[in-house]
Amino acid sequence: MKAMRPSIPTVPLRPPEVVMRLARLGSFHQCRLSFMRTLLRRLKQERWTFDRPIFDIDANGVGTAVYSAHGPERSYSLVCFAHDLPPDQRSDRVIAEAWDSTFALFDGVPTADDIDRLSQNVPKQEAGRITSSELSLSRANRSVRLFDHVVECLAAGKQPDREKVEAVGYLMRTTAVYGSGKFGAVDREAISDRAEFKGPFQAEMLSVFLTRAYVLDLVEHLARARSPDTAVGVDPALRRRFGIGNSTGLGMAPFIVNHPMLLNNWIFSREEALSRIRGLARATADEIALFKEYVARARTNAEEWASEHPLQLQKLTMLKADLVHLEKHVAAGHLEGEAPWDRLYRWAESSLSIEGQEQLISLMLEPYDRLVDDLADGMGADEGAAFGIDGAMSLDELRAIVDDVYGWALSIDWTAKDNRARVWYVSEEKLEPRLGERFEEPIEAYEQPLAPARDAAAMAGDLDRWTGEPNAAAFLLVHPEHRHIARRAQIAKAYPYAEIRDNTIAAALLPIDLLRCKLSFFGATHFDPRSDRWVRINMFRDAPFPHEVATSDCDDWCYPAVSAAPAGSAAP
Amino acid sequence: MTPDLPGRDEVDVTPPATRRSLNEIEAMGKRAARGVGLPWGIAEEAGKAARWLAMLGLPGAKHLADILTRHDTQRYEWLTPIVVDGIWRAEKGPLCPLITGAALSDLATSIAQGRSIELGETADPLLLTPYVATAAKLAACPLALSFGGTSLFLYSDMQRPDIVAIEGNQEILTSKDTRGVICRRSDGLPADANILPRLSELQLVVDAQTWDRLNAFATRTYAPATEASRLKGAGAGLSDNN
Repeated sequence: MKAMRPSIPTVPLRPPEVVMRLARLGSFHQCRLSFMRTLLRRLKQERWTFDRPIFDIDANGVGTAVYSAHGPERSYSLVCFAHDLPPDQRSDRVIAEAWDSTFALFDGVPTADDIDRLSQNVPKQEAGRITSSELSLSRANRSVRLFDHVVECLAAGKQPDREKVEAVGYLMRTTAVYGSGKFGAVDREAISDRAEFKGPFQAEMLSVFLTRAYVLDLVEHLARARSPDTAVGVDPALRRRFGIGNSTGLGMAPFIVNHPMLLNNWIFSREEALSRIRGLARATADEIALFKEYVARARTNAEEWASEHPLQLQKLTMLKADLVHLEKHVAAGHLEGEAPWDRLYRWAESSLSIEGQEQLISLMLEPYDRLVDDLADGMGADEGAAFGIDGAMSLDELRAIVDDVYGWALSIDWTAKDNRARVWYVSEEKLEPRLGERFEEPIEAYEQPLAPARDAAAMAGDLDRWTGEPNAAAFLLVHPEHRHIARRAQIAKAYPYAEIRDNTIAAALLPIDLLRCKLSFFGATHFDPRSDRWVRINMFRDAPFPHEVATSDCDDWCYPAVSAAPAGSAAP
Repeated sequence: MTPDLPGRDEVDVTPPATRRSLNEIEAMGKRAARGVGLPWGIAEEAGKAARWLAMLGLPGAKHLADILTRHDTQRYEWLTPIVVDGIWRAEKGPLCPLITGAALSDLATSIAQGRSIELGETADPLLLTPYVATAAKLAACPLALSFGGTSLFLYSDMQRPDIVAIEGNQEILTSKDTRGVICRRSDGLPADANILPRLSELQLVVDAQTWDRLNAFATRTYAPATEASRLKGAGAGLSDNN
């Protein structure tokens, strides 16, 4: 779990009881360690080159394109299929059966035969098959708010309306990106020894990065096809303002519960980074200046962050107030002197909301690439290594783990309806994951094992009543129903951030907290919930495009340039 | 994509066999085992067992489909090991290798310390192998599994992961049931044992009938599609496309 590193003085890591609460996980922001940022740093450092061997799309937006990325040892290509989708068939749900564009990330540069094979399968998505030559399968739909508007403007020789672009932030959004062996794609294990894929989700992030290039090329192409004499391209500065949207819901929510070791490694890396920075004796003038700049940019980001959901609006109100407060505090000179970051963090604990605290942590990491970036190497996980149950563990020890990791769950009344109101299940419809109401729908029989707290409490009861041999092997032979949670408990002992310390089947559960945690590690921004379990985000907004990687800063794009201070707020 | 057969109504004809990734085999295996009624902890290990066999080019998915088909009409209590005169037996019929395998894996430490475990009649002993391999890895100790005229030697460490060597009758790998099995510590791999290679490409061809059988069991874990479920369950209305 801990990477080997020369010892740097640190303050203790924040304990899991503090970090692993859904309210906090659901307030995470992207940071240096996010996967999109790791990818872009690599593309720049290793001088990847990009080209577009095929762009064969007609005036109706139907056809094929290939975008290739060439690294020091290998190449990868996004194979894109553009379709003419009737608007009434457009849906972001898993249950959709047709899309505006469909994609596969190919391992290498595809031949005509490869493209032909992919054209028979990729447009079908889950209903087709891909092979171990493909790393991922994905699809994207147009934003009905923005896509046609942009094509029309460009065709007429104008730039699209800036306000509209800012309000939406993307022309197309992905609605699923499948990797890891799904539908026949290559298993993660087969590629994880490639340097470029050591970190998690790098193939998926590369796929989205290339998709963004395709989408901009597509609108420009359609504009030219519509009006060849008057069409213009998107202004380069405005071009950057388009990210790729993503629409996601419960399909992603179980992930961080189903991958405890991986979750631990993500959280641990971030907490270790925080701890290293808090342990610094001083901050240089440059570091302070850089931090202040990022705080100002984060304020701009918060001002630009659009959402209509009441939950998100509440969080944004707190975040904006926190950032004003933070700016004032820092302007008053509190970063001078001893242990500035530790003092700042402890001030934030009592002065800022959780949302503000977690934004602050992301900002504190920014000036310290040399202390933080190597931690990205520790964010993968060999989950198979922790899968086997240790049957020799004494029941005293197992019971002690339950107290330590799930103690808070033992005092919950698990018979109360509110405490087990929800059921996570998989629908027969395209295997779409859903969250139902236990006492209102006939779905309890289909419950997926996504309530470790409840299961731990049940196991604790049986442990307390056990009179047989005091080891896990004997106990589990008689109680096979506890194997799943016993395994989780043993994993949590070795990986302290493995378990979420909240009830995942409570009536009060907000699945978007689970989504935001994972998405923040992806590097997503502009989190925009559409309900308590469905969310829109933006990916790679403001990032360089592939053709700009060689000549652009590839690590300074996550916060927008500072805008003029909004009316009524103190000037920074 | 699928050919129309002459003289039939249009029907989705499943291809005879399809390459499946190891992840797909594991996921389907887990859901199928659960669909038959095994607890989630046993089911996820069953998925891993099928995956492990597939990784070595062995028909793990088929073996799993076969054993689940048998267990579908049986009760858990009949299949789980109890000790009778020092030998593990099932209450009724042969031992289930999935349940027994898990129990063996739980005893990794004591087997590595010298305890030898004897099983009586056991169904499809090949399915025990992934669990004993897990035990060998947990205990960092070579273990041996013997039945019929075959011995399997299992060992795993960072430098040499998932070593499986076979001595003796290798056709026994397709056997259904065996009268007895011994699981014990091994002193090391015998010189003349044949080491099974891992698949170079982590995918395995699985025949349609096997996949359909697993899928039929797995489907029992999916809630039926209803209008209410479709509207409420995912939080996005029916389309969400702006």
